[in-house]
Amino acid sequence: MRRRDFIKLLGVASSASVATSCGLTPENSQKLIPYLVPPDREIIPGKGMFLSTTCTECPVHCGISVQVRDKVIQNRHRQVPIKIEGLPGHPINDGRLCIRGQAALHRLYHAERFKQPMRREGDGQFAPISWEEAYQVILQHMAKVKSDQRKIGYLSGRTTGALAELMDSFCTHVGVEKLPEYEPLFPASVVNASFALFGRKELPEYRIDRCDFLLSVGADLLETFGNPVQNSRRIAAQRKKGTFRWVHLEPHVSLTGLNATQRLTPKPDSEWAVIAYLLQRVHQSGRAKKTLPGSVLQEVPQLSIEKVEELTGIPKEKLQHLEESFFASDRPLTIAGGVSTASQNGAFLAALTGLLQWATGQVGATVDYTTAVDYSSVGSAAAMESWLKELDQGRIGVLFISRCNPVGTAPQSWQLHHRLKKADLVVGLADLPDETTALCDIILPVSHSLESWGEVSPRKDVASVLQPVLDPIYETRTEGDILLDLYRLELGAAETVDYREYVQKRWRKASSSRDLPTLMQQGYYSVSAEKRPVRLRETRAANLLRSARPQEKTEAAIVYFPPSLRFYDGRSRRLPLLQEIPDPLSSVSYGRWIAVSVATAKRLGIRDRDELRLGIGEWETQIAARIQPGLPEGVFVVYRDQLDAYPVHHLNPAGEPLSFLSGARLEKTGARVALPILSGSTSDHERGIIAHFKEEKESKHEPQVQMYEPHEHKVYRWAMAIDLEACTGCSACVAACYQENNIPLVGKEEHVRGREMAWIRIEPYYTGEEAEFLPMMCQQCDNAPCEPVCPVYATYHNPEGLNAQIYNRCVGTRYCSNNCPYKARRFNWFDHEWPEPLSWGLNPDVSLRNRGVMEKCTFCVHRIRSAKDAARDEDRLVLDGEVVPACAQTCPADAIVFGNLLDPESRVAKLARSGRAYHVLEELNTQPAVTYLSPHKKEGE
Amino acid sequence: MKTTDLTYSEVNSLVLRMLEPPRKAYFGILFFLLSVVGIGVTAWAYQIFRGMGVTGLNNPVGWGVYITDFVFWVGIAHSGTLISAILYLFRARWRTSIYRSAEAMTVFAVLTAGLFPLIHLGRVWLFYWLFPYPNQRFLWPNFRSPLILDVLAVSTYLTVSSVFFFIGLLPDIAAARDQATGWRKKVYAVLSLGWKGTHRLWHHYGAAYLFFAALATPLVISVHSVVSWDFALSIIPGWHSTIFAPYFVAGAIHSGLAMVLTILIPLRKIFKVEKLITLDNLEAMAKMIILTGLIVGYAYATEFFIAWYSGNQYEYEIFRWRATGDYAAEYWIMVVFNSLIPLLFFVKRIRRSVAWLFALGILINIGMWFERYVIIVTSLAHDFLPYAWGHYKPSLVEFAITLGSFGWFFLLFFSFAKFLPAISIAETKELLPLPVKRGGKRG
Repeated sequence: MRRRDFIKLLGVASSASVATSCGLTPENSQKLIPYLVPPDREIIPGKGMFLSTTCTECPVHCGISVQVRDKVIQNRHRQVPIKIEGLPGHPINDGRLCIRGQAALHRLYHAERFKQPMRREGDGQFAPISWEEAYQVILQHMAKVKSDQRKIGYLSGRTTGALAELMDSFCTHVGVEKLPEYEPLFPASVVNASFALFGRKELPEYRIDRCDFLLSVGADLLETFGNPVQNSRRIAAQRKKGTFRWVHLEPHVSLTGLNATQRLTPKPDSEWAVIAYLLQRVHQSGRAKKTLPGSVLQEVPQLSIEKVEELTGIPKEKLQHLEESFFASDRPLTIAGGVSTASQNGAFLAALTGLLQWATGQVGATVDYTTAVDYSSVGSAAAMESWLKELDQGRIGVLFISRCNPVGTAPQSWQLHHRLKKADLVVGLADLPDETTALCDIILPVSHSLESWGEVSPRKDVASVLQPVLDPIYETRTEGDILLDLYRLELGAAETVDYREYVQKRWRKASSSRDLPTLMQQGYYSVSAEKRPVRLRETRAANLLRSARPQEKTEAAIVYFPPSLRFYDGRSRRLPLLQEIPDPLSSVSYGRWIAVSVATAKRLGIRDRDELRLGIGEWETQIAARIQPGLPEGVFVVYRDQLDAYPVHHLNPAGEPLSFLSGARLEKTGARVALPILSGSTSDHERGIIAHFKEEKESKHEPQVQMYEPHEHKVYRWAMAIDLEACTGCSACVAACYQENNIPLVGKEEHVRGREMAWIRIEPYYTGEEAEFLPMMCQQCDNAPCEPVCPVYATYHNPEGLNAQIYNRCVGTRYCSNNCPYKARRFNWFDHEWPEPLSWGLNPDVSLRNRGVMEKCTFCVHRIRSAKDAARDEDRLVLDGEVVPACAQTCPADAIVFGNLLDPESRVAKLARSGRAYHVLEELNTQPAVTYLSPHKKEGE
Repeated sequence: MKTTDLTYSEVNSLVLRMLEPPRKAYFGILFFLLSVVGIGVTAWAYQIFRGMGVTGLNNPVGWGVYITDFVFWVGIAHSGTLISAILYLFRARWRTSIYRSAEAMTVFAVLTAGLFPLIHLGRVWLFYWLFPYPNQRFLWPNFRSPLILDVLAVSTYLTVSSVFFFIGLLPDIAAARDQATGWRKKVYAVLSLGWKGTHRLWHHYGAAYLFFAALATPLVISVHSVVSWDFALSIIPGWHSTIFAPYFVAGAIHSGLAMVLTILIPLRKIFKVEKLITLDNLEAMAKMIILTGLIVGYAYATEFFIAWYSGNQYEYEIFRWRATGDYAAEYWIMVVFNSLIPLLFFVKRIRRSVAWLFALGILINIGMWFERYVIIVTSLAHDFLPYAWGHYKPSLVEFAITLGSFGWFFLLFFSFAKFLPAISIAETKELLPLPVKRGGKRG
C-alpha cells in the first residue's frame, strides 16, 4: 500500500468512526450533559428555586414558597420540591407555616398514593384501569341514572375559588346536583349565629392584633380554629406588648388553653353562663357601646354570679376577676368555638358571644366580617342528613365524593357504610386511601396541589394561586381537569381547554393590571369584597336565642373528641412525619390514647400505657391510657382523628354534631400497651428548667471559671434566642427540622424503644394545671461536655461557635450523647431507608447519615454556609437576619431568633442581654449558644 | 493437709499430671465452650451487619450491657495481678498455689474485656482510629477523652500482665518440657526459651520477677482507676464523683477474688490438687473478700451520704431513684450480694466450707456485674432533663454476646489448664523443706 492510500484510508476510517459515534442512540442519550440554559425555569444546579403556591392541607390555605431542586432521578433530570416554607407577604400566613403544612411533602411523596384510576372488582379488590375506561364507566352510569329520572350527586369538601366556579358550572350543565359541601370541622354553631345575628354565613376574622383583652371560649385558636398560624402570630405579637391578657375557658385541656394567660375550666357545656353573665353585666353597668334591643335582651338569661358559679363550677372570685379585666379593657375580643360550640348549648353560646361582640362594639373592629371566611356553600350535619335520606330512597344513582372522608369523620350512626351501597356507582376523587375510598366503586386519583394549577379563596378578600412545582408523579389529574374531561365527554363539546388555561384565563380577567409571572410569584391577589356594614337582626337573634335555650344539666364521665393539632379532622393522620412528631400535650407520637386526668387516674389506679376498655352506650373500644395534667376530673379526651369513625350522633340546634359523649364506662383490661410516650416526665421536678423571674434585670452571663482557655470567636458566634413567652409548643419547628435536615422517620417500634431522631423537640413541663413548652435542641455549648469525651475528635468546637459533628469521623462510642446534659444528640441505630419517591424530597445540602454515627442539630449549618458564600461574593459580612434556620423560619409565633452574638446590634445579642434571658442548666457552666427568655408566670385557675 | 507434707517429686507429678493428654469429657466441654463462643460471635456479626439497634440501647441510655461487661471483666482481671504481684511483694506465702491460675485469669479476663469496647462501637470497622498511629492526615485521637485513657490503660495492663504471666511460667514450662513427648515437647521447648535451671538463670529470673511484680503493682490501682474515670470524668449525676477510683478498684478486687474462688474450687476438684490449693488458701481469700466487701459497702453508703449532704438535687434524685425506681431490683441485688453476703464469711464454718465459698463467690460475681449495670444504666436513664428520661432493657443480642464472652473466657482458661501448668511448680517447691538424703531416698 502506498503512503498516500494509507493516509486516505486512515482518514476515512477515523472520520467514519467519529461520525457514527455522534448520533443520539438510546445508550448515549442519557450521558449527554444536561441543558445549560434550562428551557422552562432558570435552574442553577445546587441552588434552590422558590415557587409560590398554596397549601391545601387544610381549608385555611396558607401561601407557601416551595423550594425546588434539580435532581437526577431514575437517570433523568427532574425538578422536585424538597421543602415547603410559608410565603412571605401572603395575607393568610405571612411567611409562617404550621406543622401540617411543613409535612405536606409527605402527602405528595406518600407511598400509598393512588397512582392510576381504579375500579372495584367483584371480589372487592381494586384493579387499575385507564382514565378512558374510568370515564366510560362513569358516563354509562350517569346516562342510565339520568334516564331513570334519578339524581347524580356531587359531594366535596369545602371548595372555593376557580374550582367552586367550575364545579357549579359543571353541575348545572351536566345535570349533576351539587350537594352541600362536607367539612367535618365546620363551625356550624358559630356560622349559624353569624347568619342569624348579622346575616352572614361566615366565620369572621378575629383581629387578635387589635384587641387588648382576649376571652376565648373553647376555640382551639392554636390548633384548628380559624387560622392557627395567624392566631399564633398575633397572640405572640400582642404578648410582646406586655399589657395583653388572654383568658381561655375550656371544659377539657388543649394547647390553646395551656398557652392562655389564665385558663378556666367550666363544667362541660356550661360555658354559655359566663358569657350570659358578662353580656348582662355589660348592660347593667352601662358599658355597652351598642345597646341590645329589649326583645333580644329579654331572651338572655338573668344569672346572679352565684348562679354562674354553681353552673360552671368556676369560683366567684375568678369570675369577678374576669369581669373586671373584661370591663377594664378597651377592646375586649370574645371568641367562641371548638368543643364549646360543638355542644348542646353551643348554638346558644355562639349566639351570646355574637351579641357580646356586638354590645362591646367589637363587630367591625376586632371581629371583622370584611375579611371573613365564606361558609355559605358548606352544609351542616343536618343538611347532610337530608340528602342521605334521598340516598336511602335510591334517588341518588351516581355519587361523586371528592376530597373528603365522610365515612371516617361523620357520625357513626349515619351508617354511611351501608347507605353508600344504595348508589349504583360511587366515584371517589382522592389522593390517599381512607375509609371512604374503601367503599367507592371507581377511584379517580387526584393530583397533589403541588402538581396542580388552581386557585382557592382562603378569605372573602383573597384569592390564592396554585401552580405546579413538579410534573405529576403518577397518572393523576386535578379535579378541575376531571370535571372538564367529564363535561367534554358528556356534552360532546369539542372544547379542549384544560384546567390550567381555565385558571389562567380567570387570572387574566381578575387582575388585568398584573402579568401572570408576577402574580404567580406573589402567590395571591386581592378580591374586592363587599363592604356593606354589619347590622344586628333583632327578630332573628331573638328567635335563635329562644330556639336554642340552654339546658342546665350536669353530666358525668364525659369524653371529648376534639380535633388535633397534628391531624386536623383526620385528613393528615396518614402522613408519616406527623405520626413521628409527638403531640405536644402528651408527648405521644404513634398510636391512640385516652387522656385521663391526674385525679381520675389516682382514683382508678390507672397508670400510663394501661389498656382501658372505653364504652359509651353501645360503642366500645380498647385504648391506651395517658395521664394528662390540667385535665379536669371526670373529663376524658380522645382526639377524633384517632378513631375510625366518629362515635357521636347527636346534633345541637345549629345542626352541629356534638364534640363529646357522656356516661363513659372505663375499666382496665389488665393489659399494657406499647404506647410511645417520648417524655420521661411531665414535671420539671423543680429544676428550674423553665425559669420564672420575679423581676426582670439585666442578666450577666459572665463566663464562669474554667480550666481551659476559652474559645476564641473572631467574626461570628452563631447563637439563638428562644422566647418561651411566645412559644406555644405548636411543633411546626420540629416538622420543619425533619424536612430540612433529612431526619429519618423511624416508626413506632423505635419510638417505644426510645430512639426518636428529632433534632429539635418540644418538652412540655407541667406545674399543677399549667404548662410551659420548651423547644430543646443542641445548645451549641461553648464549654460543651460532648467535645472532650469524644476519643476521635468527631465533635469539636468550630471557630464560629458551632459544636460541629463530623459524621465521617464518628466511630459511634455514644459517649458524647451520654455526656450531653440536654440529651440533644441522636444516634443512628440502623441504616435508614428512603424509598422512592420519598427520597426525592431529600435536601441535597444535608448529608445522609449511616448507621453507627451520632448526629444532632447543626443550627442549619448549610444555611449559614450559603449566607456566608453570598456575603463573600459581595465582600461583606453576613447581615443580621440573613441566616434563618428552618425552625426559626417557620415559627408562627416568631419565638426563635438566630444570629451572630458577636454583633452587639443583632437581634439575638439584644435578646441574650434581656432581663428575661437564661440558660437551661446554667449551673453546669456549659455556656450554651441558645438563650431562653423566661415566660411570664401564668395566673392559674 | 499442708503443702509442706509433699515432696518435690510429688509436686512435679501432681501438677504435671494435669497436662496429661485429655480424655473425651475434656473435648466435650471444649466443644460446648466453642459453641457458646459461636453464639456470641454470631450475635456480634448480626449486630455489625444490622446496626447497634439490635441492642436495647437508646437515647438517653447509650451504654448498657457491653460497657457493664467491659468493666466486669476488667474487674475480674484485677485480683490476678493483686495475688501474683502485690502479695508476692508482701511475701504472702499462701498465694503460691493459686497465683498461676489467678494470673491466667487476669490475662484472659483482659482479653475478654478488651473485646467489649470494640463490640459497643457503632462502627467497629474503624476501631483503629482509637489508637495513636501516625497517618498522613495528622489525625490523632483526643487525649482528653477518657476513652483514649482507657485504651492506653487496658493495653498497658494486658502487655504487662501477659509478660509477667509468661515469666512466671518459664521454669514450669521447662519442667513440662522435660516430661513431655512428641509435638508437645517441641512446643514447650520453644516456649521455655531454653531454660536450663542453672544457678545463674535462677538468679536473673528472681530479679526479673521481682522487677515485674513491682511494675505490675501500680497497674492494679491505675487500670481500674482509669476505667472508673470513663464515668467520673463525665458530668452525669451518679457518675461524676471523686470516690470512683478507689471505689472501682475495691470493687474490681472484690469481684476478682470471687472469680478466683469460682474457678479454683472446681479446678482443684477436677484435677485433684486439693493438696496444693488447700482450704487455708481459700479461707485467706474469703478473708480478703470480707475486707473488699466492707470497702464496697462503705462506698455505697458514702455515695448516698454525699448525694444527700451535697444538697445537689440531680445527685440526690438519681440515688433516690436508683434505690426506688425502675431499677430498684438490680440495685438491691447489688447491695445485698456485694456488701451483705460477704459478711457471712465472718463465720468460720462458712469460710471453710467449699460449697459455701463457691456459692457465695458466684453470688458476689453476680452482684458485681449488677453493680456496674446499675451505675451505668441508672445514671444515664435519669439525668438532668426530666423529659429525656428513658428506660433501657437489654436485648437478646446483648445477652448472647455476654454469654459468648463467658464462653470465650472459660475456653481460654480451659485450654490453659490442660496445656500449661496451672499451679506454679517452682514456687510451690520453694515452700517445701529442702530435699535431703534420708534413708537413701531422694525427694
